[in-house]
Amino acid sequence: MTLQIQRSFDQEKGRWNITPKGDVDISTAPVLRTALDEAYREAKANVVLHFDQLNYMDSTGLGVIIGAYGRMKESGNDIILENPRDNIKKLLRITNLDRLLCPELCE
Amino acid sequence: MTDMVKFSVPGKPQYVGTIRMAISSLANSLGFDVEAIEDIKVAVSEACTNAVCHRSTINGEYEVFCELSKERLVVSVVDKAGGYNPETYSEPCLECPKEGGLGIYIIKALMDEVDIFTEVGIGTRIQMVKYTR
Repeated sequence: MTLQIQRSFDQEKGRWNITPKGDVDISTAPVLRTALDEAYREAKANVVLHFDQLNYMDSTGLGVIIGAYGRMKESGNDIILENPRDNIKKLLRITNLDRLLCPELCE
Repeated sequence: MTDMVKFSVPGKPQYVGTIRMAISSLANSLGFDVEAIEDIKVAVSEACTNAVCHRSTINGEYEVFCELSKERLVVSVVDKAGGYNPETYSEPCLECPKEGGLGIYIIKALMDEVDIFTEVGIGTRIQMVKYTR
């Protein structure tokens, strides 16, 4: 199982774009945690997680995102998930995290 | 006719993905649709993650038993990590999400039947069933 993460800072919109590619599970979740932590240490700004190329995620990934969400909220920033695949959408729905992390899916 | 497939797995994070791929292939061979296969993959990974996180022995080995029949797939993840007291387990609060604690909740939401047998001092068996319908 592999996970590759690209991140870049969008100067115009003042936010991080982070794109994980592959699978997030117990063995790769630390990679996602490090990417989020490093980005946020470099610049405190909103984060958009582009999930187009994320094949798989379970509670270990949700845990990392919830942790980052909590830390970011303290300084008034948001984390938003974009384009999660159906399997990940379902996971977000059953855990009620869709309302926090991708409100447009709740409509 | 029921086939049994058994795996003995080192309690290390890198093997959870291996089991997930193997179970995915077994579920596919039983004719489950894509959504059901995804449900099974997540549920089994959650159970394996629990076994890895709670390991107490040196290599924390755990076992995964798969029972395949035309009607259903039964997967049991059995560890010897010392068990836990089910009276102290509480459902996660979905209004105030926090890291960890979602695994069992997710397994119950994705599988048709879930039984958890745990004995303090011994270990835990999470048995999950998905019907082919």
